[in-house]
Amino acid sequence: MSRFFRQAGDSDSESSESEDELMSSEDEGQAPPKPSTAAKPAMSRFLRTAGSDSSSSESEEESDESDEDGGEGESGESDDEDKPQIRILSAVDKRLKEMEATGKVMENGLKINDWMAISNEFDKLVRMIQRQHNLSEPIPAFYIRTLVNLETSVNAALQKEKEAKKKMNATNAKALTAMKQKVKKAIKDNESEVKKYQEDPEAFEREYLALLAHAAPPAPIAGSRIAAPGATTTTAEVDEFTTVGKGGKAQQYTSESIFKDLQAVQEARGKKNTDRAEQIRILEILVNVAATSYQRIRVLLALISSRFDYNSSVSTHMPPELWLSAQREVDQLVSIVASDPNYSIQEITEDYDELVERSPATENGVVRIRGSIISFIDRLDDEFTRSLQNIDPHGTEYVDRLKDEKVLYCTICRAQAFYEKTEQSDPLGRVIMRRLEHIYSKPDAVVQALEAAADVSEVKPSMTLTVKGSTSALVQSLCVYLYKSGNSLLRTRAMLSHIYHHALHNDFYTARDMLLMSHLQESIHSADVATQILYNRTVVQLGLCAFRSGLIKEAQATLLDIFTTQRVKELLAQGVHQQRFQVMTPEQEKAEKQRQLPFHMHINTELLEAAFLVSSMLVEIPLLASIESEEQKRKVISKPFRRLLDFADRQVFTGPPESTRDHIMQASKALQDGEWEKCRDLIQSIKIWSLMPEATTVKEMLARRIQEQGLRTYLFTYAPHYSTLSLSLLSRTFSLPLRSVTSIVSKMIWNEELSASLDQSGGVVVFQRIEVSRSQQLAAVIADKLAAMVDQNEKALDIKMGGTGGWGERNDGNKNEKRGEQTQERRGRGERTRGARGGARGRGARFSQGLGNQMPGHTGQRGQ
Amino acid sequence: MAEYDLSKTLIPYLDRHLSFPLLAHLGETGLFPAEEVTIAQYELAKGTNMFDYAKSLFEGIYPGKTVPAEFDVKRKNAVSKNERLQQEAQAVLDVIENPDVAQALRQDKNQNLQYLKDNYGLTLDQINALYNFGQFQYSYGNYTGAADYLYHFRVLSTDAELNTSAHWGKLASDILTGRWDVALEELNTLRDAIDTRAAPALLGTGAAQALGAVLDPALAQLHSRTWVVHWSLFVYFNHPQGRTLLLETFLAPTYLNTIQTSCPWVLRYLAAAAILSRKAAAGLTPAVAGAPAVSARVRHAIREVVKVIQTEEYQYQDPITEFLRELYVEFDFERAQKALKEAVEGVLANDFFLGEFKDEFLDCARFLVSEAYVRIHGRVDIENLSERLNLSQEEGEKWIVNLIRETRMGADAKIDLEKNVIEINRPPQPVYQTVIEKTRQLAVRTQALGVATARSGAIAQQQQQQQQAEAAPRAVEVGGN
Repeated sequence: MSRFFRQAGDSDSESSESEDELMSSEDEGQAPPKPSTAAKPAMSRFLRTAGSDSSSSESEEESDESDEDGGEGESGESDDEDKPQIRILSAVDKRLKEMEATGKVMENGLKINDWMAISNEFDKLVRMIQRQHNLSEPIPAFYIRTLVNLETSVNAALQKEKEAKKKMNATNAKALTAMKQKVKKAIKDNESEVKKYQEDPEAFEREYLALLAHAAPPAPIAGSRIAAPGATTTTAEVDEFTTVGKGGKAQQYTSESIFKDLQAVQEARGKKNTDRAEQIRILEILVNVAATSYQRIRVLLALISSRFDYNSSVSTHMPPELWLSAQREVDQLVSIVASDPNYSIQEITEDYDELVERSPATENGVVRIRGSIISFIDRLDDEFTRSLQNIDPHGTEYVDRLKDEKVLYCTICRAQAFYEKTEQSDPLGRVIMRRLEHIYSKPDAVVQALEAAADVSEVKPSMTLTVKGSTSALVQSLCVYLYKSGNSLLRTRAMLSHIYHHALHNDFYTARDMLLMSHLQESIHSADVATQILYNRTVVQLGLCAFRSGLIKEAQATLLDIFTTQRVKELLAQGVHQQRFQVMTPEQEKAEKQRQLPFHMHINTELLEAAFLVSSMLVEIPLLASIESEEQKRKVISKPFRRLLDFADRQVFTGPPESTRDHIMQASKALQDGEWEKCRDLIQSIKIWSLMPEATTVKEMLARRIQEQGLRTYLFTYAPHYSTLSLSLLSRTFSLPLRSVTSIVSKMIWNEELSASLDQSGGVVVFQRIEVSRSQQLAAVIADKLAAMVDQNEKALDIKMGGTGGWGERNDGNKNEKRGEQTQERRGRGERTRGARGGARGRGARFSQGLGNQMPGHTGQRGQ
Repeated sequence: MAEYDLSKTLIPYLDRHLSFPLLAHLGETGLFPAEEVTIAQYELAKGTNMFDYAKSLFEGIYPGKTVPAEFDVKRKNAVSKNERLQQEAQAVLDVIENPDVAQALRQDKNQNLQYLKDNYGLTLDQINALYNFGQFQYSYGNYTGAADYLYHFRVLSTDAELNTSAHWGKLASDILTGRWDVALEELNTLRDAIDTRAAPALLGTGAAQALGAVLDPALAQLHSRTWVVHWSLFVYFNHPQGRTLLLETFLAPTYLNTIQTSCPWVLRYLAAAAILSRKAAAGLTPAVAGAPAVSARVRHAIREVVKVIQTEEYQYQDPITEFLRELYVEFDFERAQKALKEAVEGVLANDFFLGEFKDEFLDCARFLVSEAYVRIHGRVDIENLSERLNLSQEEGEKWIVNLIRETRMGADAKIDLEKNVIEINRPPQPVYQTVIEKTRQLAVRTQALGVATARSGAIAQQQQQQQQAEAAPRAVEVGGN
């Protein structure tokens, strides 16, 4: 494993070298503890020296000190220390040799005038020198020499090039000019050395050698680190750590040095080539070592963050094991902070020294530590969702993963309890929202299971299932808290979740009233996508609820909008829509993917479609039958249904139904023909109903509706062929009680849908047929249109006047995107205040009132 | 029958003093044990300054016991306080009643204040004495006096808070003294005050409200509206034209919403009023002379009320709403008849507000039933219809004859005594008639639109209206042809 990491981390140029080192470390396997002690401080020095040259000497001293700190417990340290030095010295030599080799290649290049090669080699050389420089090693005289030589050759070459008749090829020429720039820059960087060299090359070289000899003792250690980048170093250490016994570890990471270690880890965090797994391991050790609460909190904070850092980009989600340990650590963190009120974790604190131990005593009361538990909880939850998004929902893995929701829910509850205790309203709101999101869409049994798990933990929030008695009460109390909190986004989401919950529990009226009173449909299009999705889900669930409760018209109207878009899956975030005309950019696709709901939260779209189409059928078929003329036929209630029906009509041959749609289409045709029994059987044989919670009652309800609508359709269709029709016959044919037949017929007569009257003594319906001529019919149409126009104008004025007072009708001109709300709105308004026709007159009345107000000189109250 | 009694739900929305008549009524109906009612009355009276009344109630409840001494103490206090307040108020009253002052007073309240201050040294505090005294008088039951003082206070004071309070006080006093005309006026101004005061607040917070926020001003407004709805029942069911006015008010969208959200039980009164005013609305009985033309809202009250009843069915149901529902939604005359019987005997007989209208209600309800029945049926058996109306056959016949005579049905309906049926021959409406019907109010509505637009000063829209106005008559012509 370590080998793999190393190779991955190293650059090509030094791969052979690191291989070497690997060998040597393996060679040294018999004395493992030693190099580790030496290596560790060296690393920290490496980090520090990287910062600036000036501090190098100081940091060296420091590292020496820590050397001693670390090594005191170990005997015979000094002779062990020699070994790596020897090895490392050779490494430095090798490095020099390598440089010289590049120099050779360059010289060769000069001879054949191959500037491309020279340029490449020079780059390599500069890189090596740069590394050397980082380690504050003296710059080899060789480099300066090469530089000076190069400069002269470049100038010469340029000169030649100018005079030459035959130009060199383009790439070569380019390389030459590039070289010129590079050399110029390099010389400028090392101006003083170059000058010194030019004055007296030999003296310079001597000086360098002297310097090298002098720097030898500290340099080699650094050198070894130079040779391999940080990642390699730490991995090497780890290999050795794991073999160390308990005692050795304790010496390595003690509670005294914990802050230093912590800082080292934190500084390495986010840097390239940092081995995250290694960091996590160090931190895990530190947690065990930590002695005081303060230390533990600090280390836990760092540990959890680095867990979340692990593989941020490589894979789609956090591995479950890692997630579970993060979850446990968050739990631990919460319980520490919850149990000791003297510590508090805050996002904004005053600056404090990271390296100093703090306690309530030193801080006069509460110790404030920078960090954020709520963001950990958020992240945990998000990662959980993400993993569910990416696991195949049909495998056992998904189910296993889903089981983790319980612990996550416990953590959330615990955090809620903590925030309740400390009275931090903002994070409390967020955490309650998280909790709500885990339970709002779940059936009672699941919520009970989750709550039972949360109940076991020692810290409990004030709102639990046992306290509240029922899930609805629990959801209610969670929502009420969020309504009262100031955050409007949370309020909106809580509202929607609450409505969803009501709808799930078949509480249609409450859900509907809440949705209408929230006026969410007016502002939802300006909300963020996640909230819009939640809104769509809520509306759809409301539609299903209406369907289950037998409110066919409501169900149809609610579901219509989302089905008209034909993008049901996309709007519910249950699948990515393939757009025909435009290609999504990868970013869009990614964003879209992230929005997808995990599978277990999906609303079954097939069931949804079945509910929608069946309710459309029940609304639309009688309507179709009542329409005689072609013009009126354009007045469609449910376009998707009508389209399907037309398509089914065009089929020459219809086989036995297979899909849900087939069933419904054939049922519709049967209903049109007055064969309600066939229709009922077809509808009831749809398999998807079994997914509904109360399948049998729903089926019964549907059968009854089919009987009623069948009767209506029959009357509409065949009325012209009868002059009288016996009520008892109708009641027999549709096996409805006589009373409901009478009721239905009366209703139709009253609403002027059927021009007929009842003859009570004979028990028959007497039909009156009116023939309408073409021009009469047209006149009627134009009258209707005019009325509609006046309505529209009044509506337009409503909007213009701001819709105050009685002008409550709202704008319908939203985009197609803004699905659900329109009909919902129209229907809801209509129901709550008045119907379409009543509405027209009602408005007229208000107008006349407005006039009346104006006459006696009142300024219209609502005009302005 | 106690299950249909609404007193318990209504009282929380009423003033202490307004509840007395309700309780007294309960005592009369005997729905509840008399002692319980008296105890309730006593508990109520204890909180007021009507000590004598409380004392007599106490004696009624506990005949043997001595009246608690605290009453006497309180009484003494009250009397002294009364004197003090009266003196304070009298000072102001003296000034105001001076004819010179009365003439000098203008519309502008600030100016008035300044005037009074400059010439007579009256300060705001002194004027507030009027309010205090008025309130005090109200608390011991001198409603006429209270109404007087509160009226004067309102004329002078600029304090919005106290003014509203004075408004409520005056309304209550007027209701309790039974001056319904004055009370009606008071009610209307109060309603305006509530509606306008919250309007700016509503506009400003519209967006936030849309996010589901329950904002305090909106909530307060809803609250005051709920109270207005309840208090106005007193006025509307006692004023001669109250029922139509009730429909006007309660069917306005804002109040309809108030009823739906906070007090669905008021639907009973709404439904009752709709039934009661049905005849007047249809223009069948010559209404009280000078009654204003009923608006479209009242004319279509039944339809609207039925709609509301349907939507609110899950929240509130009683025999009256049941009757309307069975009649107009289910068209089940048998059940409607049952519900009507129950409504009259169970609800109206015992209801404080509706009690007086029992017979009228029955009459109107019968009218509704027969109207619907006749409209649906082509041939009606008189016996059957009488049964539907809870009448004996003879009575039924008389009733039906009257009905035919009174209404326009006369043209189409004939009684065939031999077969004992009514033949209704309603020729289908000709198409052109429907077209005329449909386009009838379009011109008026458009004109109104035009006026409204002109007011808001939108020229572009006006043009549209003009086109509209031109189009409408043309359509009528087409229809006529």
